[in-house]
Amino acid sequence: VKVPLSWLREFVDFPAEPRQLGEDLTFVGLALEGLEGRGSDAVLDLDVTTNRVDCMNVYGVAREVSVLYGVPLRPPDFSFPEAGPPASEALEVTIEAPDLCPRFCARVLDVRLGPSPAWFRDRLEAVGVRPINNVVDLTNYVMMEMGHPSHAFDLARVPGGKLIVRWSREGDRLTTLDGVGRILSGRVGVVAGTEAALALAGIMGGASSEVSDETRTVALEAAWWDPLSIRRASKALGMHTEASHRFERGADPEAPPDATARIAHLLAKIGAGTARPGLIDCRPVPRARRATTFRPARASAVLGTPVAEERARQILAGLGFGVKERPAAWDVEIPSWRSDVGREADLIEEVGRHVGVDRIPSTVPPSRGAEGLRPTQVATRAVREALVGAGLTEVINYSFVSDAEAGPHAPPRLRLANPLSEEQGALRSSLVMPGLVTTLRANLRQGRRDVRVFEMGRVFGSTSHGPAEEPRVAILLAGAVAPHWSAPRGTADFFDAKGVVELLARRLGAGPFTFETDGAPGFLHPGKAAVVSFGGRPRGFVGSLHPDVSEAWELRDETVVAELELEGLTRAPAAARFRPLPRSPAVSRDVSVVSEEGIPAAEIEARIRGAAGELLKEVSVVDRYVGPGVSPGQRSLTFSLVYQDPGRTLTGEEVQASVDRVVASLRAAGLEIRGE
Amino acid sequence: MPGSDRPAEGIVRELPRLRQDFDAALADVRDSEGLQEVRTRFLGRKSGELTLLFGRLGKLKDEQRREVGRELNTVKQEVESRLEARRAELETRLRDERLLRDRVDVTLPGRVPPVGRRHSLTVVREQLEDIFVSMGYEVYDSFPEIDDDFHCFEALNMPPDHPARDMQDTFYLEGGAALLRTHTSTGQIRYMLSNPHPPRVRIICPGKVYRRDDDITHSPMFQQLEGLVVGPGITLADLKGTIEAFLRALFGAEYPVRFRSSFFPYTEPSVEADLGCVVCGGRGCRVCKGTGWLEILGSGMVHPAVFEAVNQRLGRVVYDPEEVTGFAFGLGIERVAMMRHGVDDIRLFYGNDLRFLEQFHK
Repeated sequence: VKVPLSWLREFVDFPAEPRQLGEDLTFVGLALEGLEGRGSDAVLDLDVTTNRVDCMNVYGVAREVSVLYGVPLRPPDFSFPEAGPPASEALEVTIEAPDLCPRFCARVLDVRLGPSPAWFRDRLEAVGVRPINNVVDLTNYVMMEMGHPSHAFDLARVPGGKLIVRWSREGDRLTTLDGVGRILSGRVGVVAGTEAALALAGIMGGASSEVSDETRTVALEAAWWDPLSIRRASKALGMHTEASHRFERGADPEAPPDATARIAHLLAKIGAGTARPGLIDCRPVPRARRATTFRPARASAVLGTPVAEERARQILAGLGFGVKERPAAWDVEIPSWRSDVGREADLIEEVGRHVGVDRIPSTVPPSRGAEGLRPTQVATRAVREALVGAGLTEVINYSFVSDAEAGPHAPPRLRLANPLSEEQGALRSSLVMPGLVTTLRANLRQGRRDVRVFEMGRVFGSTSHGPAEEPRVAILLAGAVAPHWSAPRGTADFFDAKGVVELLARRLGAGPFTFETDGAPGFLHPGKAAVVSFGGRPRGFVGSLHPDVSEAWELRDETVVAELELEGLTRAPAAARFRPLPRSPAVSRDVSVVSEEGIPAAEIEARIRGAAGELLKEVSVVDRYVGPGVSPGQRSLTFSLVYQDPGRTLTGEEVQASVDRVVASLRAAGLEIRGE
Repeated sequence: MPGSDRPAEGIVRELPRLRQDFDAALADVRDSEGLQEVRTRFLGRKSGELTLLFGRLGKLKDEQRREVGRELNTVKQEVESRLEARRAELETRLRDERLLRDRVDVTLPGRVPPVGRRHSLTVVREQLEDIFVSMGYEVYDSFPEIDDDFHCFEALNMPPDHPARDMQDTFYLEGGAALLRTHTSTGQIRYMLSNPHPPRVRIICPGKVYRRDDDITHSPMFQQLEGLVVGPGITLADLKGTIEAFLRALFGAEYPVRFRSSFFPYTEPSVEADLGCVVCGGRGCRVCKGTGWLEILGSGMVHPAVFEAVNQRLGRVVYDPEEVTGFAFGLGIERVAMMRHGVDDIRLFYGNDLRFLEQFHK
């Protein structure tokens, strides 16, 4: 809200320079957004929070200023001369919808239409209102001054001089002052004539009864509209006006008579006309007195500083609250303009902001002992650190994806009812597809070729219980791992991705992981993909993108990816148990096994483990060979077998006996042993 | 016996020439083979020039033989020591030459292991978590991103049609009442409902939130960190002290903090905290719109209506507003990162352009 200081001074004298005033108001909740002009021409631009509709006008701000500096508040002048026949002879008001309109005040004004005086127009322009003519300007002026919107009808264009407040009916049509023809449907409040709707209640007037150069007599409306009704209507109509903004937040139900009186006063003051005698005041629903209690001790306890009772009384009374001091719990009547206040907590805020939040001391709550990250949180960080350590950069994609890009292989996605765009129409069910692939493509388009990224976040899907979400980690590698002038450029392949997965298993103490070809997602290369299982069930996948997918996404090098559930990975065992270091040396033997390419290495390894006996500690593949000496379609794998007994040194004979059993077992399975 | 003198004189007379020859030969030596040739020429077992002179000693009388023999031995020792010195010298030179041949161009690039980084928002989030953990807070981050109207609005004192809902345009899921949480304040409600040690609460809730907004200062997905402390005797002074302490830990003591009244439906009183502008140091600039202050977080004392809504859902009074009070605060993680790094477009954080992500060191 914009507040010209010259206008403010009509109601309060303040002992501060404009900037100081703005800063002081900032602390009580009216944040200074800008300061235009200087000295008496200065205009404060204050950011009023949505609850303080009472401060969206000059007088409301003046009330805050008076409490801020402890100076008196001068009410506006509501006096005016009356002339002519009683208003009630020319205008009749009927409220058919008291739920919409608990109060409707009206006056009849005889006007000489024309432009407003310069000082009047200047003020309106200073607060951002475009002057139109003296009658419309008066209603706007009083809205900016007192906060209450009002509306002027050309009485000659109100059929029969009858205004009827009702809900819209089927077939109601209205051209509003913005020139838009509207067909009213649903429950929209209107001010109607005997037949047609003349104005949208609390939102905007209608063109048919608009004040024009020919207007001689005006029916001036100042009503109080039910906030929820105005809010719903303004939403349904897609209209947001200065009037609806105020009414939907709760205007002052006691303001209508004063608003009409102030307009009548100013009408006479600028010489634009006079009011006819009498106020038409329809009030089908009397307003209930609103009161609550205030305990100074409670205020002190919540604010964390002793609040002097005298100071609390000054603040509340200055803000217009009716304070009846009683022992311990005061009875406080809430002024009609404070729709935001309803209970003691609100009064404590009123006192707190004028005592000054900056004057409240700073303490910290008493310690209740130490806290730490939970084991899963520690493990989640360990996953991230392991991936960063492996040279991957963390990315964060939106949870939104396009449903169209899901492709035939993707599981069904949860869809948004009101997405910002089709491209963000669904929630992701995978981090890799399309998230990380999109990240890769975006970076390729920037000329980047080598990309090593990971993401940790939730994916979404539905279960029989409804929507579900699950934290995951995913990686994507494309291009060279660590290109260097000393070696030819290599590109990441399946085993780089698998290696990162194995790294996670080791760093997290999870596993063992198994890798099986069946059941991998369709967007992966059928020959270079595996389902990763651990803890007894599938937990994710690793593989190269299917060449068709790479082509469709215009990717360049082979792209390898992996995605794993975080749960299980992060639910690692408790602290590792120490095993005494072996006191005797390990013995290693190599065995080279020739087999069909189709036989998984894991199968051969399992056979070795089965035959070797307890002394075997580790088996690992150390070489793979194809070429002379090995038939086409076959390959030779060299396994390194490590033997150890923690307590004693092994003899050559017992190691050889184990190797012999291994060789015999492999031969029995039809495998050839090389170099034997 | 004059004839008996001659052989001795002959030997002695040859020594200067031999020395001269040795000097010349040694000077010509370039490598260990050359050195061996010189050794053989002078000290060779059969025909070394010095060896031959020793052979002629036999023809001398005892007295002369001793005298000339001593002289020859002196020469031999000298030859041997000079050969050894030359050998050492040659060896040193050869090693130096070999080292010189092995040299590399140290200005060529090193073999850098692949360099990974956490996302700059993760860095901020984890730092915030660490600060609050050190202050005795529990990190509650397992509550859902897909939530419902009760946890996101109603329990937070925003009944249907409440104007404050306008501030948070919400994404809804198709075919149901599910929505994407618009703030991490849902964590307040979820934690209080499942509190393992009621009525005390001391948590922070970091997480992603969603609002229907997309411009340089708004991203439809962003991250917040909510804090909630509930217990007997918690005050607004505690709120102030806590926020000052954590802003100091986050930004350093050189930036002042101020509090001003504000409005949030679920806190009463509500206060907003501002930090002295990190760009201009409080003098006023474009970033702080000339005020010298940057809005950093919203906070306040938990509204009694929030406790009442939780109690109602629990079916009993667990958080009696007369017995316990609390404070809550919430801040945007992107905002902290933008202030810290001078980033002017929030959408960069989610564009995943490596040229952006790789600018951050930690």
